[in-house]
Amino acid sequence: MPDGVIVDGWASVIAAYSVTTVGLIIYAASLWQRRRRLERKQS
Amino acid sequence: MRGKFQWEHAVLLLALVLLTVGTYIGLAVAPPERHMGDVQRIMYVHVPTAWIAMLSLTVAFVAAIGSLWSGKHKWDAAVVGSTETGVVLTGLLLSQGMIWARATWGVWWDWDVRLTTSLVMFILFAGVLALRASVDSAERRASWSAVAIIVAYADVPLVYFCVRWWRSLHQVQSTPETVDAAMMLPLRINAFGMLFLATWFIVRRARLELAQRQVEETTLPERRSVEEVQHA
Amino acid sequence: MSLASRELPSVAATMAPPRSPADTPAGAISGPSWLNNLRAMLAKELLLEWRNLSRLGSVALFGAVTLVLFSFVAPPQAGARRMATAGFLVLALLLSSTLSLSESFRKETHHRALTGLLLVPVAPSAIFIAKAFANFFQLVLLAPVLIPVALVLFSVDLTATSGVSYPLLQLLAVWALASAGLAAPGTLYAAMTSDLRGRDVVLPLLFFPLVVPVLLAAVKATALVLSGDAMGQLGSWNLLLLIFAVVHGTLGTVLFGYAVEES
Repeated sequence: MPDGVIVDGWASVIAAYSVTTVGLIIYAASLWQRRRRLERKQS
Repeated sequence: MRGKFQWEHAVLLLALVLLTVGTYIGLAVAPPERHMGDVQRIMYVHVPTAWIAMLSLTVAFVAAIGSLWSGKHKWDAAVVGSTETGVVLTGLLLSQGMIWARATWGVWWDWDVRLTTSLVMFILFAGVLALRASVDSAERRASWSAVAIIVAYADVPLVYFCVRWWRSLHQVQSTPETVDAAMMLPLRINAFGMLFLATWFIVRRARLELAQRQVEETTLPERRSVEEVQHA
Repeated sequence: MSLASRELPSVAATMAPPRSPADTPAGAISGPSWLNNLRAMLAKELLLEWRNLSRLGSVALFGAVTLVLFSFVAPPQAGARRMATAGFLVLALLLSSTLSLSESFRKETHHRALTGLLLVPVAPSAIFIAKAFANFFQLVLLAPVLIPVALVLFSVDLTATSGVSYPLLQLLAVWALASAGLAAPGTLYAAMTSDLRGRDVVLPLLFFPLVVPVLLAAVKATALVLSGDAMGQLGSWNLLLLIFAVVHGTLGTVLFGYAVEES
């Protein structure tokens, strides 16, 4: 990669933000799912 | 537990608002960096993730000491909450770092000090979660994961310095040092947003752990006796 | 192995015989009774080592076999092979160490010998130090097998290295420091994983990332001994290995009690 302004920067930016968002949503969903399973076991 | 308002949801709301605003400013308002161009915008999510991941694991370390000290369930719940959140954030940090490396250095992976240390940290603390998953007794699970967290946390500076010396011949990677105010603003907003989001994750996971433990204790008596018979 | 583990309960029972009627009970953490504990535990570990030499032999053989495998996959050019020697040698030590570490507490969980020891009571810190020392000793004993095998397989001539005086001695010093760095955290983790469901997976999973500094520093130091230390960096890598061993040795001594307490 030569020095200077990097081209197609937006693709990387969008990739980084989407990976983060998706990752956090998956973790939140896994917490929710584990809680549901526990509540089902409790009742 | 159900139907009662839990304070952490207010924190979550705050986190989502801050992250939305911070990301909007970072992506749409802030000017592109002079040399990196638009790629530099990854920093607005990358740096907060790094800070809060480190913070979560530090909370895990403190909670581990508290857990060994007092033996209380609450501390163990805090340990598992902050460790899991820290591992998730470190994993995301690694993905962002790889995307950053690809965009700026042309490779997916580079044995840069911070990238390498993050990778080792990720495996270390994920290993603690694996240890937790394979211990049946709740008491043991608490004391063992606390011991493992303390040892792993103490290892991180050693890893950092070792990798730094190891790579001393390697060129120092450029990071934008002159950061003007327009770039600091989204960084700060996102950092607070990430902090509140991590708080929500930690508290939710800790509550889940406490609830699981309660269920375990109410259903355990017959299972425990079976285990003891097998042991003897 | 079977002989030793069968003997262990009786060894444990005679562990801390009161030397005189005035002896304090062996539970106290400091003072002469703690030293007595340590001495008795060290004697027990060395006895076990002595009876277990064949086991150590097979671990050494395992290390030698990994070196042979590494030498197959190493590049054929002599120069490149020499460059790779340090890494392969330290990896052979690391892989062998997981075998001897995981074994070190398995014999204690047989017949719940460790529980017996703690009930006698022997101070957990004394058990840890003796155990860590025994593990360290085992790893050091691998050197006379693995180092010559590596030197031969990768055709390294120790007498030809420049800028390092007494290269063999230096190599052994690095080996000993690396062994200490592996034994200290390894003993603690071996204790925690010894009677676990998936211990064969969990121990390396916890242990390997933890000893990354040992791996890096030992490889660098070994490479410096083998290929010449022009800039005098060997000392700082050895210091790093020493710091690692001291930090994890201290942590292990403090935390071992929590790791083995019966709930």
